[in-house]
Amino acid sequence: MISLPAFRWRLPCCAVVCLLGTSVLLGGCGGGGDQTITLWEQMDPEEREILHVLVAEYQAAHPGTRVEVAHYNTEDVRTQFQTAALGGGGPDLVFGPSDQVGPFSVMKLIHPIDEIFPADELARFRPEAFDTLDGHVWALPDQLGNHLTLLYNQDLIDAAPATMAEFLAAAEAATLDADGDGTPERYGLVFDVSEPFWLIPFLTGYGGWVIDAAGRPTLASPAMVRALELLSSLRNEHGVIPRECDYELADTMFKEGRAAMIINGPWSLSAYRKAGIPFAITRIPWIEETGRWPGPMISSKGYSVSERVKGEHLARVLDFLRFVTSTESQIEFATRLGTLPTRRAAYDDVRIAGDPVLSASIAQVEVGRRMPVVVEMRAIWDAMRPAVQSVWNGALTPAAAAQEMQDRAIKKIAEMRQ
Amino acid sequence: MKSNKLSRVVRRILLYAVIIAITAITVYPVLVVINTSLRPSNALYTTSLSLIPENATVRAYVSILLDKPFLLWMRNSLIVAIAVTLLGVTLASTAGYAFSRFSFPGRRSGMIGLLVTQMFPATMLLLPLFVLMRGLGLVDTLMGLVVAYTATVLPFTVWTMKGYYDTIPRDLEEAAMVDGASQIGAFVRVVLPLARPALMITGLFSFMAGWSEFIVARVILSSQSLYTLPLGLEGLAGTFQTEWATYSAGSLLVSLPVVALFLILNRFLVGGLTLGGVKG
Amino acid sequence: MSILPVRYRLPYALLLPTALVIAAVILYPFLYNFWISLSNMSLYHVRDAHLIGFDNYGKIFLESELYTVLAKTIAWTGINVFFHVVIGVGVALLLNQQVRGRGIFRALLILPWAMPQYIVALTWRGMFNYQYGAINLILERFGIDPVPWLSHETGAFAAATITNIWLGFPFMMIIALGGLQSIPDELYEAASIDGASAWQKLRRVTIPMLKPIMVPAISLGTIWTFNNLNVIWLVTRGGEPADQTHILVTYVYKAAFSYYRYGYAAAFSVMIFLVLLGFILWYMKTTRVLAEAR
Repeated sequence: MISLPAFRWRLPCCAVVCLLGTSVLLGGCGGGGDQTITLWEQMDPEEREILHVLVAEYQAAHPGTRVEVAHYNTEDVRTQFQTAALGGGGPDLVFGPSDQVGPFSVMKLIHPIDEIFPADELARFRPEAFDTLDGHVWALPDQLGNHLTLLYNQDLIDAAPATMAEFLAAAEAATLDADGDGTPERYGLVFDVSEPFWLIPFLTGYGGWVIDAAGRPTLASPAMVRALELLSSLRNEHGVIPRECDYELADTMFKEGRAAMIINGPWSLSAYRKAGIPFAITRIPWIEETGRWPGPMISSKGYSVSERVKGEHLARVLDFLRFVTSTESQIEFATRLGTLPTRRAAYDDVRIAGDPVLSASIAQVEVGRRMPVVVEMRAIWDAMRPAVQSVWNGALTPAAAAQEMQDRAIKKIAEMRQ
Repeated sequence: MKSNKLSRVVRRILLYAVIIAITAITVYPVLVVINTSLRPSNALYTTSLSLIPENATVRAYVSILLDKPFLLWMRNSLIVAIAVTLLGVTLASTAGYAFSRFSFPGRRSGMIGLLVTQMFPATMLLLPLFVLMRGLGLVDTLMGLVVAYTATVLPFTVWTMKGYYDTIPRDLEEAAMVDGASQIGAFVRVVLPLARPALMITGLFSFMAGWSEFIVARVILSSQSLYTLPLGLEGLAGTFQTEWATYSAGSLLVSLPVVALFLILNRFLVGGLTLGGVKG
Repeated sequence: MSILPVRYRLPYALLLPTALVIAAVILYPFLYNFWISLSNMSLYHVRDAHLIGFDNYGKIFLESELYTVLAKTIAWTGINVFFHVVIGVGVALLLNQQVRGRGIFRALLILPWAMPQYIVALTWRGMFNYQYGAINLILERFGIDPVPWLSHETGAFAAATITNIWLGFPFMMIIALGGLQSIPDELYEAASIDGASAWQKLRRVTIPMLKPIMVPAISLGTIWTFNNLNVIWLVTRGGEPADQTHILVTYVYKAAFSYYRYGYAAAFSVMIFLVLLGFILWYMKTTRVLAEAR
């Protein structure tokens, strides 16, 4: 029916060829001048404010150098950097969570940090802040953290629960259904129940983990079954958590004082302070059965240098990097945001060591476990998510869900490696 | 007679009841967004049905207008949206006319070809689009956005103009041409004025496409001084920590110019422009 | 140009600028996408991708959930477009009458279209919460049991659909309002003289006269809804519960951005393209809007 006469296409094709032809001539331009350092970041609003102050300071101290910062959300900073860098453009520096270096390094879009910084300089950072992949470090971290911890409202909970039994008892006691309609007005505990990131502390608390050193998933484990059982018991046996509880609901309820405890990360603290909630933070309670502390995943955020940055410009970019990751800069971020520094020197500073919230945060990190930066982690999360939700709805038993996660993860990883 | 009048009154009341009910349902979620924008706690959800939150505050509006470069974003968005509107309407009104009034080789495939351009998931076109824009030297320019958006609105606007021209009887132009007008003259003086409702739709649509688009803008722009409203708003959101009140306030402010534009254009959607009016 | 018959010159001249803009921006990405779909481009083969033939297309048909997801996508598209058109045209008819405050009602009704989608989609998600969402709170006032919208497969699908219907009907309303202006009053008067009822006028006058402008809107509405990832993604938070609320285009997004399977994602999008092309050719034939110019 539909014929595409040749001449209809010839015309547009000619036009495109012409346009592309001109573009080759214009090709050289584009991309900022040499004196401009470009940075793409995915910082939260408050974090960004601090960065902007630092950038202004740096520019004042280095006349002639401009730092252009562009903000993206976490998903976009990764995908856009990939698109731009593969397309021959993109920024000099890209800032983000440690796991984004997985695809960047495999696609050879960034420099190995250990090849552009001298070893003695890197030795001034805490070694656990670095992730290595293929024998190289791919990002210069300026903060550790991103770890979940337990926050409780001191008006509603008297003392920090130390063990799982105390924790459940406190949650039950704080759950309040005054009018007896079966829908509590206040819940003992809230957190994002269907996001597997929140399941990790329980998984490690029962002695499990997500992936082995060879990049094979280890999800079908007795520990996973126990963690899932605990998760579903929170709602079904103990009734301490709302039936549909996503991140925003958990956050809203804790801000309104309608939830006594929340499991959340350091990024949330300043908002709760602003909302006037008298909260304190403590480790996620000890599991008697295994004798372990639940370990949240910890990860760093840091800067990677685009592979396109070379020569003189590279020196300029590195100088800026040294400045934004300096001990002073890190203390500024840490004291205002609750993130933990990566430079050794920062930990000796009284502003870090003497801060009660930061100390509690450090205590939680001590029992945490590094989030793997391998690209396979995406497959792990995507495989876990539906199964966790199925356990929550009662569609799958914990044992069946653990097996399903494992099978899905294996399949997805195989597809990626094709 | 009387019962007839009564039934008319009943029908009027019913008409208003239905319109008000539909409007209420439509507006309710927007009221929730307004509620969010007035909340002091920056929480996204609420656990109550009340439309005004406790301790309501307009701090978010002050903050977005004064602390953020909202007006700069708005300026950029206006430039893009107006350019897309002018280009989209001009190109569509002529191309649509060709498709409506002429028979020529490639007409069918051309019309289908327009629709075909919309059928690929946008996700997959972003990398080549970036490469292309880079080749054209249009990365990180508002011009790049204008070109990309115009290309994406044209299929809709051309088809809409073509469809509307189809409903305008040909004898009107033929009469003008008998009176000595050229085909172009008849098009400009007879057909275009009659097609004002369609010009208004294509204009509004083109404006909206330039005003609210995010994904392509995200790929093409990286300088903060060029940010359009959707990019600026996106910057208010963090991975976990979002100032929902400010975000909602910004979203509401973004929608106002569109509604205002619609109110201005609305007069073209009132009778009096019908063929009968012109003929008489 | 001298080979070109004179009678074709004007239409081609009128079309040329449009053809140029579209060709400049869209043609290259299209061809690029076809090329990728035939290559092994993936995470480990970004820089050294080469053509491998139709392997990627073969893999699509091995996707175990392909047909379920295709059925869901068709349901999603069909239900949405149906309600967009019915509500949109219905409201346009109501607001084309002599109604006090008509302009205000029209302006209020385009709000869903004018608002940024992100915030309203998330607001709707909040309204669907089991215990605290406005919808269940209102249902309870009428003595109806709360519905577990978001944690149940059908519920989540319905929630996303309701949100998208709300978002999309104003677009159809605006188009129908425009289309209604082209209907001369004489046609209605003539129908009245023939003793036609309101329903008959709708069927014999309004609908045929709206057709030329609604058919393209419906065609494009179908294409856009079929590929509309945003709304369903935001309302169901990326496929909750348990990956049960995906539509085809989710696979493209996931394959390209989560798993870097560029070749596979491109092949998948070519397949989506072919499904849509088939539909549009059928629809154009049924509605005969492509008939030669009179």
